[in-house]
Amino acid sequence: MTWWLLTFSRAAAASYLSHLDTARAMQRTFARAGVPIALSQGMRPKPRLSLPLPLPVGASGCEELAVVEVPDDLPDPAAALRELRAAAPPGLRPLAIIVVGDQHPRPRVLEARYACVLEGDAGAVRAAVERYATEVSVVRERVSPKGRRTLDLKEYVVHAAAEPVPGGTRLSFAIRPRDDGAARPQEFIDLIAGWAEVEPVMRRLERRRVTWRDLPPGPSPGAGRSMSS
Amino acid sequence: MNAHAPGSLDSCSEGWIPDEVARLLARVTRPGRYTGGEFNLRLKPGASPRIVLSYPDVYEIGISNPGLQILYAHLNDATPAAAERAYCPWPDMAALMRAHAVPLWTLETMKPVAGCDLWGFTLPHELTFTNVLEMLDLAGVPFHAAERGEGHPIVLGGGPAVANPWPLAPFFDAFFIGEVEHRLDEIVKALAAPSRALRLQALLSVPGMWLPGVSERPAQRQVFMAFSSTAPVLRPVVPVLEAVHDRAIVEVMRGCTSGCRFCQAGMWYRPVRERPVDLAVEAAEQLLSETGCDEVSLLSLSSCDYSGVEEALTRIRALRPGVRVSLPSLRIDSAAESLERFAADQRGSVTLAPEAGTQELRDAINKGVDDAQFEEAVRATFAGGFTGLKLYFMIGLPGETDADVAGIARMAGTAARLAKDVARGRARLSVAVSSYVPKAHTPFQFESFAGASVLRHRQRLLREAMPRHVRISFHDVAASLVEATLARGGPGSDRLVEEAWRRGARFDGWSEHFRFALWEDAATATGIELGTADLRSDQTLPWESAVAAGVTRSFLSEERARGARGELTDDCRDGLCASCGVCGAGVEMDVLP
Ligand code: SF4
Repeated sequence: MTWWLLTFSRAAAASYLSHLDTARAMQRTFARAGVPIALSQGMRPKPRLSLPLPLPVGASGCEELAVVEVPDDLPDPAAALRELRAAAPPGLRPLAIIVVGDQHPRPRVLEARYACVLEGDAGAVRAAVERYATEVSVVRERVSPKGRRTLDLKEYVVHAAAEPVPGGTRLSFAIRPRDDGAARPQEFIDLIAGWAEVEPVMRRLERRRVTWRDLPPGPSPGAGRSMSS
Repeated sequence: MNAHAPGSLDSCSEGWIPDEVARLLARVTRPGRYTGGEFNLRLKPGASPRIVLSYPDVYEIGISNPGLQILYAHLNDATPAAAERAYCPWPDMAALMRAHAVPLWTLETMKPVAGCDLWGFTLPHELTFTNVLEMLDLAGVPFHAAERGEGHPIVLGGGPAVANPWPLAPFFDAFFIGEVEHRLDEIVKALAAPSRALRLQALLSVPGMWLPGVSERPAQRQVFMAFSSTAPVLRPVVPVLEAVHDRAIVEVMRGCTSGCRFCQAGMWYRPVRERPVDLAVEAAEQLLSETGCDEVSLLSLSSCDYSGVEEALTRIRALRPGVRVSLPSLRIDSAAESLERFAADQRGSVTLAPEAGTQELRDAINKGVDDAQFEEAVRATFAGGFTGLKLYFMIGLPGETDADVAGIARMAGTAARLAKDVARGRARLSVAVSSYVPKAHTPFQFESFAGASVLRHRQRLLREAMPRHVRISFHDVAASLVEATLARGGPGSDRLVEEAWRRGARFDGWSEHFRFALWEDAATATGIELGTADLRSDQTLPWESAVAAGVTRSFLSEERARGARGELTDDCRDGLCASCGVCGAGVEMDVLP
């Protein structure tokens, strides 16, 4: 068996898929393309395809990553990529295949860059972003089915910037996960929207770049080591 | 879409969902319901006429409807029209659409539905009727056809619930009665006429059309006689959201002449037509690629009766390793054999529908299954290693007594005993009991609805008599009462639907949304009593003035009388024609040699 890293973009209608639905759509794309995915062992074998970094519902992704195991006797990756592109649904576009070899890659995120548009008072949004830069600590509570926890957004969210665009302000920022987890984009958007007193509606949210580490072998997909056409 | 250079910090995304819609999507459950983006979605920019197809239920239900898939594929692939889709927004989305004044859009282009030329609804059953009004309202299309003008779409209804179009009559410009595949070209052509009045006039001349207040005669139900020489849908829209069923569907047969006297579909889709096995297998092969599924379902009202079932199963299974083939229903009288030969791929559980609890009542409804056959079928299910058995029954059938209901508990007891002895307790047994609603164009159309108090009494009896450990579920009697009222409603019954909608009735087929009090209030306000329509067999029945279903009144009356005498009527495909009235004038049974 061989591991591939498949980069793909997610946009338009596909942005509204959940993480699980995105993975399922990817699996179906392989099935439609006639590119087999290896199955896991056990009573209920599952296709060995995973998306290491979930994309929020409603967000586009410029260069997402799928980790997939395929049988050795496959057609060459360039041909597979062509088939996958033809078989993908609107909004999901396979970009490149990186052949990793027989070691299961476990890519970890160093940094993910986001941008979204906030409506309302552009000056207030800019002021909120400036305030964020000056705060030493911004602690927020997260309530989830697993319980409550507090997290200091300053430990995760960097490079915050605001820029006027038609219809609002583009808020851009980067999230750097740590060993204990990561902030979510919506948490930062809520913070800025709350300070600026604008609606925290996540619109045109886009993950523009992800920087990975531990991608054996060689450089990250973003560095262009790909078999894209 | 991908001018985005690897590693770039620029935007890569094109084709953003329009902002006014995106604002709503950010706040609803399952936003993917409203954005399309499915596999095999068709886009025909600039094509004319623009047709919107709708199924008045939530996306996940509507997307699985094979009828809508047929229309979508044919209109887009074989006519100049562009067909788009819209389903009924869930209440959270509907509330936001109203609050922000965003009209209903289509999944293909995100453009307002109201701007289309023709808006076609597939109407599955009565409990979706308030959703039709909900969709018209959300689209900003006037409710009543009489209020629509040049800029409004023509609203056309079709599907099984138009067997009695009266409860929806004023809301539709036209209804198409029967199977529409061979009339789509004529419908598209009619839309080219230069004014709304002329378009309606052109539609009136399409066989099968009934225009409320305009048509002078009932519309003749249309039968698609090229069924057996036409391929089924080969490029269905495949959802990217998790689907209820994830299988490729090959419609192998249309119509069923088993002759169950309660069954509207059995009367409505006559005569039986079968697709050749070659066509079914070729379709299955293409569908496996197009859908990415590894399961094929051979669809029909009674797939075990399909003459080519065995050959089709064998050949489809041989197409690729790991392909499974399932049949949606099994006949009890041959289930033991079918389970062994056909159902090896069926996952998990098996469904059997004895429908009634005693031999007498089963004979009266022409089900003709005996206790020994039932026992054999159950034994075969458990011996075959299936992990579950679901039994379907009805209560409230004409002529039913408490003893018949006790018979249901007895049969469940037999099944429970076999589950213990044969499956050694490893199989789940469940019993689903629905309330019978007499439907138009069936032998029981002359019968009255059993009524809420009788049904509640029988549900109680059954609950008490059921063996312990058997899971039993009932239909909500109140919902059946509403269904019966609408199924048997005549001119004016639309007022009840509209009043109920105005009071907030939506998604009445969903137990969590069905609110009987709204219907009671609507009944009081309109003076229409729920469930009491008393129809006499010497009168013209309301639906007979709108729909000529093909089966004649004399056949239906005779069948009703035979039922009362407990006489069985044979399936015409196995022997004698029962002279139901459907065949003739180019319509005939079309089964494999
Ligand atoms: S007319 Fe005769 S052959 Fe045709 S469907 Fe009716 S009973 Fe069957």
